[in-house]
Amino acid sequence: MSPPATRTVALAQVWLRQIAVLSLKEIRQLLRDRALFIYTVYIFTANIIIAAGGANNELRDAVLRVHDADQSHASRDLIYRFQQPRFRLAGEVGSAAEALRLLDRGEAQMILEVPSGFAESLRRQQLVHVQALIDTSQANTGYLASSYAARIVARYSEDWVERNIIRAGGDPRQMPAIRNELRVWYNPGLNNTWFNTISELLTMVTVACILLPAAAMIREKERGTLEQLLVSPLTPLQIMLSKLLSMMLVMLCGTTVAVFGIMMPFYGVPFVGSVPLFFALTALYAFTNAGLGLAAATFARNSAQVGLVVLLMVMPIVMLSGTWTPMESMPPWLRALMYLSPLRHYIEIAYGILLRGAGFGILWNSVLPMAAIGVALFALGLVRFRRQFV
Amino acid sequence: MKFERVFAVAQREWREILRDRIYFLLAFLLPVMLMLVFGYGMSQDVENIAFAVVDEDRTPVSRDYAHHFIESRYFSFQGYLPSANAADRLLAERKLRVVIVIGPRFEQQLLAGRSGQVQTLIDGTFTSSTRIIQAYVEAINLAASTGIQTGYLARRVGLPPERAAGLLHPVVLDVRYLYNQEVRSIWSVAPGLIMMILMLVPPLLMALSVVREKETGAIYNVCTSTITRAEFLTGKLLPSVTISAINAGILWLLATLYFHTPFKGSLLFFAFATLLYILCTTGLGLLISLLVSTQQAAMIISLVLSIIVSIQFSGLITPVSSLSGGNYAIAHAFPAMYYNAVAKGAFLKAVGLDVLWPELLLFVFYATAVFFLCYLVFHKRTRT
Repeated sequence: MSPPATRTVALAQVWLRQIAVLSLKEIRQLLRDRALFIYTVYIFTANIIIAAGGANNELRDAVLRVHDADQSHASRDLIYRFQQPRFRLAGEVGSAAEALRLLDRGEAQMILEVPSGFAESLRRQQLVHVQALIDTSQANTGYLASSYAARIVARYSEDWVERNIIRAGGDPRQMPAIRNELRVWYNPGLNNTWFNTISELLTMVTVACILLPAAAMIREKERGTLEQLLVSPLTPLQIMLSKLLSMMLVMLCGTTVAVFGIMMPFYGVPFVGSVPLFFALTALYAFTNAGLGLAAATFARNSAQVGLVVLLMVMPIVMLSGTWTPMESMPPWLRALMYLSPLRHYIEIAYGILLRGAGFGILWNSVLPMAAIGVALFALGLVRFRRQFV
Repeated sequence: MKFERVFAVAQREWREILRDRIYFLLAFLLPVMLMLVFGYGMSQDVENIAFAVVDEDRTPVSRDYAHHFIESRYFSFQGYLPSANAADRLLAERKLRVVIVIGPRFEQQLLAGRSGQVQTLIDGTFTSSTRIIQAYVEAINLAASTGIQTGYLARRVGLPPERAAGLLHPVVLDVRYLYNQEVRSIWSVAPGLIMMILMLVPPLLMALSVVREKETGAIYNVCTSTITRAEFLTGKLLPSVTISAINAGILWLLATLYFHTPFKGSLLFFAFATLLYILCTTGLGLLISLLVSTQQAAMIISLVLSIIVSIQFSGLITPVSSLSGGNYAIAHAFPAMYYNAVAKGAFLKAVGLDVLWPELLLFVFYATAVFFLCYLVFHKRTRT
């Protein structure tokens, strides 16, 4: 090798070693910052466990009250088909007015009204209408209640149909019907804990990726040690890179613990795709967010403020990127805007690899925008940092 | 209590707020931002579901079946696909959420009075919306199936369609949705958000106010003046309550005009109840401010407290009735849960004072108690 080339290699080695030493210092510092360290451990362990048992939009024990004007064997047969776990029969109401009052006070979620002459109409093969009053002030559970109720009534109906067809001179076996077999992919058992734990992990990875570098930077700023670093031979880029790399390492360790230590063994979350690809892209995601965290640190004066700034950044990102709610229901302008959110792309990547086994061939159109956003954000962080300190 | 002195404190406080640009921005921007972010972020409407059809039959009957889905307002048709294999990839790429595969000999089977086979592939990644999609698909399938059966009976046995329908589905369930007739998510979310934001922002703003004076030492001016404790506290509360009341108005406008949530109750009742609620939450912020000595601590305590109370223990996401023992008690110890009932009642249920008077009475009691507690905690003579 020619002398200049050897010199470049040697310089690069020094440059890299400086970053390595500084990164090690960051990790040591985090281990000694008890509050932040405990918080970091918490978000990747206990927090995931809490989320696993968290909200699910299932219909469970919906309080049902009945206004049975018929009081016949047939009407009771229908009423007792509304069973737990979906519905909880909480007794009868005397009148329609009382039913409305109960709904107003939130003491019933659904009222079933069986008209008088119900059994008689059935016997005469006449159409009979049963009414369900449903409190939809919680929209989704309200819709599910109506859907399950419709299913129960349809099944009840079917039991009468067979008899009716025979009477009408038909053959019950000779009836056309459309059999629609529903097949749920990627989560066949519709296991809520898969969704809850993965979404929580993505949320917490985002929090860690922004908060940890921000905290590492604000620590130096608060104590005035940043000036020391700046008068050392280190460049601003090296200082930022070391914070980014060390915190990325911490976050990857946390993710490893969460995925392999909690989600897979305890909740049976599948890992269909490639493990190296997942971690490589998670590291890329960490890089994408670190710029935001470092920029946040330049806006704040102390660690409490940085907490607040990070909270204000993370909230819209997490709420609007499709972590917990489907993007389809958002207005087009917002969906277009959220294309700029790295999390929006990382969600595709994480769910794609974990549940669908997607490879790079499918994920590239999420990876490229995420990388581009990452470079832009890191440049923003670097520019803010230079402007403030150098 | 002398009004001039209360007014003087309030005026001074107001000036300070106007001069602190970040604080002022936070006071008016934060509520609006929270409303927009959570308004969109918590809407669980399942709409615009991208779906495609694989029609292996290609007959009028199969096309007719596909049309049942294409015409539904919940589904967004992306086109026909040549084979189920193409569907696999599009599902994996998340371009589609649902694929409907109509089996071969669909028409032939149905015309012969046998069952026609259809398969629906649903992306199960988002479990809660998948459940709703399943319900949509089943409802549409039932309607289509009934249509076929009615036609069949009419042809075979010569029954008029109405009569055939009575035979096939003797019991019909009429569903009446109360309070939220269109079952729109945002209708249920918006009132809850007003509760959440008014639990979050007023205490945050208030928590900083007394601590700021403690940090700068300006509190000693108050301690050495002739002003009484009650006058000082009232003067401190007034500007914050005013700001929060204006915010409540802005939030109400956002909910009704921007998110189109219906407001069915009495505005006067709602305004009055909201003012009482703001007094309660601002009072909590004042209490925090009196108890701690740094702005950092005040900010963190008030934020953590209000986030936990307003999100976990208010009925915003999970109904209070499903909380267990200790959590149930915590929920009842804060005004958020009661105001949630008030907001939902006033917006959606058109109920007012006749049903919700206990909640109102509770706010009055709560605000008085909090203010009294502040009075007890605040001393002009600092302990040394």
